[in-house]
Amino acid sequence: MSTATAPGALAGLLPESRVLTGDAASQWAGDREVEAVLFPADTDEVQTLIRAANETGTGLLPAGAGSWPGAGGWTRSGGVIVSTARLDSVFHYEPADLTLTAGAGLGWRKLAALLEPNGQWLPMDGPGAGEGTLGGAVACGVPGPLRARYGAPRDNVLGLEVVTGEGRLLRIGGRVVKNVAGYDLVRLFTGSRGSLGVITRVSVRLFPRPGADVTMVFEGGVGEMLEVARGVRASALPVAAAEMTVRRAGAAGGESQLAVRVLGGREEADEVCTRLAAGIGAAPGTTLRGGESEVFHRRRTAWEGRSPLVVRLAALPGRLAAVMGWAREVAARTGGRLAADVLGGVVRVKGSPADDGTAGLAGKLVSVRREVEAVGGTMTLSRAPREVAARVGWTGVGGGGGPLARKLKSLFDPCRVLRSRCP
Amino acid sequence: MIPATLTRSLVEICGRDAVIVDEDRLLVYESDALTAYRHRPGAVVLPRTTDEVRDAVTAIAGHGLPIVPRGAGTGLSGGAVALNGAVVVGTARMNRILEIDAANRRAVLQPGVINAELSAAARPHGLYYAPDPSSQTTCTIGGNVAENSGGPHCLKYGVTSRYVTGLTVVLPDGTVAKLGGQGREAPGYDLVGLFVGSEGCFGIATEIEVGLLPLPEDVRTLLGIFDRIEDSGRAVSDIVSAGLLPAAMEIIDGPTIRAVEDSVFAAGYPTDAEAALVIEFDGVAAGLDGEAERAAEFCGRAGAREVRSARDEDERLALWKGRKKAFGAMGRIAPDLLVQDATVPRTNLPSILKGISEIGKRYDLVVANVFHAGDGNLHPNILFDRRDRNELERVERASKEIMQLCVDSGGTITGEHGVGLDKKHHMPLIYGAAELDAMWGVRRVFDPAGTMNPGKVLPEDTAPEWPVAGEVRDAAEPMIAAGAAP
Repeated sequence: MSTATAPGALAGLLPESRVLTGDAASQWAGDREVEAVLFPADTDEVQTLIRAANETGTGLLPAGAGSWPGAGGWTRSGGVIVSTARLDSVFHYEPADLTLTAGAGLGWRKLAALLEPNGQWLPMDGPGAGEGTLGGAVACGVPGPLRARYGAPRDNVLGLEVVTGEGRLLRIGGRVVKNVAGYDLVRLFTGSRGSLGVITRVSVRLFPRPGADVTMVFEGGVGEMLEVARGVRASALPVAAAEMTVRRAGAAGGESQLAVRVLGGREEADEVCTRLAAGIGAAPGTTLRGGESEVFHRRRTAWEGRSPLVVRLAALPGRLAAVMGWAREVAARTGGRLAADVLGGVVRVKGSPADDGTAGLAGKLVSVRREVEAVGGTMTLSRAPREVAARVGWTGVGGGGGPLARKLKSLFDPCRVLRSRCP
Repeated sequence: MIPATLTRSLVEICGRDAVIVDEDRLLVYESDALTAYRHRPGAVVLPRTTDEVRDAVTAIAGHGLPIVPRGAGTGLSGGAVALNGAVVVGTARMNRILEIDAANRRAVLQPGVINAELSAAARPHGLYYAPDPSSQTTCTIGGNVAENSGGPHCLKYGVTSRYVTGLTVVLPDGTVAKLGGQGREAPGYDLVGLFVGSEGCFGIATEIEVGLLPLPEDVRTLLGIFDRIEDSGRAVSDIVSAGLLPAAMEIIDGPTIRAVEDSVFAAGYPTDAEAALVIEFDGVAAGLDGEAERAAEFCGRAGAREVRSARDEDERLALWKGRKKAFGAMGRIAPDLLVQDATVPRTNLPSILKGISEIGKRYDLVVANVFHAGDGNLHPNILFDRRDRNELERVERASKEIMQLCVDSGGTITGEHGVGLDKKHHMPLIYGAAELDAMWGVRRVFDPAGTMNPGKVLPEDTAPEWPVAGEVRDAAEPMIAAGAAP
């Protein structure tokens, strides 16, 4: 479909200063071959580019800051990246309403700096949050451990401005916290990874920063930490997040850490920590408070780093021990490490394809996926070398979405110019 | 009346006692709780299982008749009204809780389970279901899913869509699809989130998986009494912007207080007050007193003449009584009630409340406000007698002005009751042609033939040319492969 001149035609629609081509483009895209990276500066420019892409049959890859190259698995090589990084204006911020409307390209640091003086935050802590853009986090829609307390990103997105794959401008939802007017297209676009449209503006619900941020860090063997995790899950006490990491996966008695985060008023947080530790009969090795606790968790959002392989396994939290076992099998082959959201039942593995080659790893991933699906769970490749993804498939059961998802894709992107893939 | 062949098919599928065609008995189904809209359905069928729903839907659609899904009929937007002789598929008999999985804090249930019964069943496990619409002792979870229902405690805990993690749905062409399930990690588009709040236009949910929460350990309840309603609105805004997060914050205005106190539901609110503000904090006991004290201070600073606090469960229930029974009490004042549901940015509450009161005065109407103040979700109730044509006309004009006022302040036309029949002509106040067109498109992805709950949510005059592009492309594909449960 795409012609040699098409990307050039699109690039010609923007001033040179907002176009990357050649090596610079590929470098921006994490060494992936792309024809150009375009940085539109407003919604009109996004719309112009998408319409031109429809006219010329050019494939587009929506992106934010490009902090997670390959996230969502772009469907093929080549194509033109449209980055929303320059759409970073703040349009509306009323602290007393705890709502904010900003361009999709607003960076997390800038956002945090804006909210902090008012004692507020946006508790989205999915992979990559902290480095990338607000729009990127919403487009990916992947929750982090704080989902237990604050919900997934989709629960806190109030409204979106989107340019659909067909080039239509939609303003959906609103900026009030309760809104059931019409069908919930906001939830459809949140987490659709740019496969239905490019998100250009986002309205979110903010939260007051709790007076106390305390993290109890338990340490020990994997089995021991799983036991503590079970106690945390069974407790009725309000735990904001609990994340378990395994440092040297596969090694016998591998070293493991469980970070339990408690947010609330000072008095409340102290009491919850004391009673929780007593209830599960374990004492934390260290307890982090305030800024230390916050930095600890912020760093965790960059846990994946630039690992070429990231696998996400999920099942009901009660299955955590089993899922962790399968995740460790994958990790053993990839020199990988694990991070588990113990309240959400999600285990992430990061690593590199091992020396035994693509075929061995792919075979392991396929068999692990079968095991996870047999208990009602899922295994998704968040990031993977193309040859591994080709053998394994980015998603298993329920992936690709079935006929309803295909029809929705056709509705919003009839010419299929958006080449990003929703798992 | 429906064709005799269809009656026979429905009786065969669901049993004789599950099919209602008798004109008198159909009267019960002619409206929902918004009684201004009344249309008698062609028939009512009450299936018990997913298979029965599937077969009934197939049979009705096969006769070219429209279908209206219905829960307990407590909706407040005319969403369950059967237009043009539509056949009502009621979920009243699908009232089984299939599983309470305490370890994973989730439950799987049929759509006809009553909201409060789910919480009652979860209670022995130390759990409950958070969304608590005021009709929770009668409304069904299936209805809550269709309307994305809220409730007083959604301020802290969020609305229905946050808690629905999986659905089995019968689509309008009779195919069965499983969306999500087993927690929240289903890959792909959030079809569960899209289905929740679709007001019966996308299909009928026949099995619902929801998340449950641990029961809060303790609770503190306050009641602030104000001489001016704007002051109560300011107290709400101040409390939230100070970083406090109460579980609920509800305002009952002067006319409502007087209606309640004149009724059998008298709760001991002072009848000369212009607003009562109920504030509730919940969680672990430590720190609750401190939070309640701070909230009481904010009330005082905003001009509260008195702040009461509940010392035990009986007192707590007494403070809540005036709020919970407000709708019932209004029935004493006027035969008809039009309840609106706009949501506005919280900081605009004081000016909006004043504006609503002025509109009421201008049209010589009694407007009583009782609402979820913490969310900015207003419920101005206009009291009237529909036999008075002149009054009815004033009600319509006032109602439109109130809605416009809320939208102009950055709000929306409905926060939790849904669009239904009542507000579909107001949709263009908040959405342009492109957005309405997109919603029509999505509706047709689920319901290409226009079988399910026609005449609701979207104004017909905004319907795009038929058929839309997406469907031409996929027309040869079956809607969803039968039995292809993801």
